[in-house]
Amino acid sequence: MPLSREDLADLIDGRLPWPQVKAIVSTPKDDDRFQRLLEVLQTRVAWAERILMPLGDHLYVVEKGTERIVKCDCGQEFGDWRCNWKLHSLVLVRDGEASLQEIWPGRSAPDPRLCEVREYICPGCATLLKVETVPFGYPVVFDALPDLDVFYREWLHAPLSSESACEDRSLTVIGQWAADRGAPPGPN
Amino acid sequence: MKKTLKEKLAESRQAYAATGCYAGITEPRLLRSDPIAAELFHSRLLAALIAGRETTKMISGSPYVREVAELAIGLYTPEGHNIAQSTGIQAHSRPMGEAIQWMIEHDWEEKVGIAPGDLFWFNECSVAGMHPADVYDILPVFREGELVAWVCTVIMEMDIGAVSPGCMPVPNVERATDGVRFAGEKVGSHDQLRHDIVTKCEMSFDMADMFLLDRKGAIAANLHVRREVEKLIGECGLEWFRTATCELIEEERRNQLARLRQRTVPGRYRNVISFEYYMAQQPTSWLPAKRDVIRLAPMETRIDASGRVVLDFEGAGEWGWHSFNATPSGMWGCLAIGIVQTLSWDGRANLGSLLPFELELPRGTVFNPGDTRPLAQANTWATTIETFSAWMATLSQTYFMRGFREEMLGFRSAYSIAMVGYDQYGQRRPLLAACTGTIGSAASAVRDGLDPGALLPTPEVDRGNAEIWEAFVPHLDLSHRLDPYSAGAGRYRSGLCMPIMNLIHGGREIVGSALVSGGTYGILPNLGLSGGYPGGKLIRAVLHDTNVAQLIAERRPLVHELGSPADPDYARLIEARISHPHHVPEPFALANGDITIDAHGAPGGFGDPLERELEAICRDLDNGLITAEIAARLYGAEARFDTRMQSWQIDEDASARRRREKRAERLARAVPAREFWVGRSRQLAAREFDPLISEMYASSMKLSESFAQEFRDFWALPASWQPEVP
Ligand SMILES: [Zn+2]
Repeated sequence: MPLSREDLADLIDGRLPWPQVKAIVSTPKDDDRFQRLLEVLQTRVAWAERILMPLGDHLYVVEKGTERIVKCDCGQEFGDWRCNWKLHSLVLVRDGEASLQEIWPGRSAPDPRLCEVREYICPGCATLLKVETVPFGYPVVFDALPDLDVFYREWLHAPLSSESACEDRSLTVIGQWAADRGAPPGPN
Repeated sequence: MKKTLKEKLAESRQAYAATGCYAGITEPRLLRSDPIAAELFHSRLLAALIAGRETTKMISGSPYVREVAELAIGLYTPEGHNIAQSTGIQAHSRPMGEAIQWMIEHDWEEKVGIAPGDLFWFNECSVAGMHPADVYDILPVFREGELVAWVCTVIMEMDIGAVSPGCMPVPNVERATDGVRFAGEKVGSHDQLRHDIVTKCEMSFDMADMFLLDRKGAIAANLHVRREVEKLIGECGLEWFRTATCELIEEERRNQLARLRQRTVPGRYRNVISFEYYMAQQPTSWLPAKRDVIRLAPMETRIDASGRVVLDFEGAGEWGWHSFNATPSGMWGCLAIGIVQTLSWDGRANLGSLLPFELELPRGTVFNPGDTRPLAQANTWATTIETFSAWMATLSQTYFMRGFREEMLGFRSAYSIAMVGYDQYGQRRPLLAACTGTIGSAASAVRDGLDPGALLPTPEVDRGNAEIWEAFVPHLDLSHRLDPYSAGAGRYRSGLCMPIMNLIHGGREIVGSALVSGGTYGILPNLGLSGGYPGGKLIRAVLHDTNVAQLIAERRPLVHELGSPADPDYARLIEARISHPHHVPEPFALANGDITIDAHGAPGGFGDPLERELEAICRDLDNGLITAEIAARLYGAEARFDTRMQSWQIDEDASARRRREKRAERLARAVPAREFWVGRSRQLAAREFDPLISEMYASSMKLSESFAQEFRDFWALPASWQPEVP
């Protein structure tokens, strides 16, 4: 069912009455949903870069010159889309009784011996971008690495200008951190 | 010369391998040539299956059928491929076919004989199925002497003769403790059960009457579907029927691929879940089983250019001596339930829906132990269902990215107390009440989750009538209220859960255990979406030696809701000796007047809770779905109750101020990811972690060099680094 731009905007804002949402859920999907969504999202951000893919409530993969980076709607940038954006965010870790109790009181709290909760926060707008609840010490989860070129070229039939291989490059950041850690303290 | 079923199955598989199309149908023509006839044909098959299911509900007497409707019926090709499936529990659409295929491959046609009117039973989970409590009634359909289809009904049984406590016992680890298993046994002919089999059931089960009534219901359903299929073949001819049923599967395969291309985004998606199996204190005589372990389950989903999906469980921990090991059959079953609810619901929802998927389940892991014949499999279901509950968060992520935010859906597993003992009628039997329908669903990006009524196993969730359960089980239901503390917070919150609170009443010599449909406990499942939180840990309390009789005599309040977990009602209102058994508890004694409580955490909320609209918070306050304490603590909303208006009011300015403070506090407390990484990496290098966690990583690394490599790379640990095995 084709959605009007207004209805789509209301849908993503949670303002569409339930009977209409139900109708959208139950009827055949609109093939151009993605393109129309991008139109709505693009009008809402204050910056000019082209949105290529929404990743979360505030995060987008955008085209910046020849780069593709992750960007918050507040303008904060999180680096190459092939590196886990969480590595460029702030982290509030809850791995002790007191900090876990702030969210889950009493016996509803996870076990601090086994579980750690990581809240990834945007340095630009302090928005909570993602909560990760994992076994203690589990590597930071790279939730979504979309294959943008395959998607735009083969599924949307609208290839992007500069294609690049879709591969996890998070270790380049880690490698830098490890090198910095190992290096003797500099003059600063 | 007529082909054997074995030859037909081999041919069908070869044709698929050679062409990538079901039964080698590269150009489906028949159904496309007459779309109206195609729809009518499919509708009549579905109508027959659904009518069969309704028939069963009228015949069977067990509350699992009548109250919870844990049953479904499928129609299969002669090769055991699902053509159509009734409403109801969708997990069995593929496993029931695997059971049929196993019979075919093990020479049933030649050595056991398959004739019109023959009845077969199957619940051998080392071959196919979700757990032995799900019994398959299988009936062949013949036309002019040739087997042209199979009908199969699944019903979940409350009692299959398992060792106490109950039909899904937790402490038991060896096969025989599961009760009676049937591996395609021919239990009847001419549409009648054999007298000796009926007698065997009467001798084997405490609840033989329920078991046999369920079989009568299943047989009646199967006969109904057989009659309708015979009628259809009479109308359309056997060749047309054969081609049309195969095309239903092939068309669905194509449509499912098209749906994946329409609604998802190609790429790589990751999540992780872990299962806690606490067996050290369980009363089992197989001593090697007596250990507590946590098993890791990293999940990687890859969607390729064609739309095909690979679910890769590389890095999963080892199988063990407990009843929670998953199997490939069970994993396929739960994948089917997951996708039918958001992807193939407008299609045929048959085997074709699964053909675009591939599961990589490394051998030796908890997902693929290899030979499971020696093992109890009462809870195979638990691990598979929780895995796919978590996988739904990944599927939701792809829907979100593609713009189909209304399709986002997520679940979390449920636990409840199970019992064995003497009921209010003086019979000793498993006393199992359902926990289905007590869990809320995850939020989507367009609205809050559903309050109870969301369970991955079945889209038609029903907790059943409390009064009916009370007639079957010696307990009184104390609560049907929504628990504000159960929700996963977020801009859109998850649905709320309903705590299960029962007062033991009218029984004697009762042993408590649990009905388990998950494995996470102290480690919350990673279900938060885009800044939303998952709900908290299961709170399980058992109140022994209570003063309930006195409270009732004095007409004082009992306990009907959890209240704040920091100061729960049950500890305040009732005088009792309180224990807090974990999710897979060791058996414990229960007496009349005791109270059992299970308060669940919901799956994930969506988005930053500080962005939830104040109006929505006010509405939740007025409806009792949140408390002022939660509103302030998690949402930064300042609310007060207006006694004159008898409604809640939100102070917008104070709330805006509080939200600003909370954001500032985040920035003050959070550290750059690099700083977190340096600290954690140092701790891991020094092996500063709990022995259970250490053993969990060791188990995964033992099976997967690539997992070990990735773990060490991520934390920049030396190549020689290994977690210690306690
Ligand atoms: Zn931001």
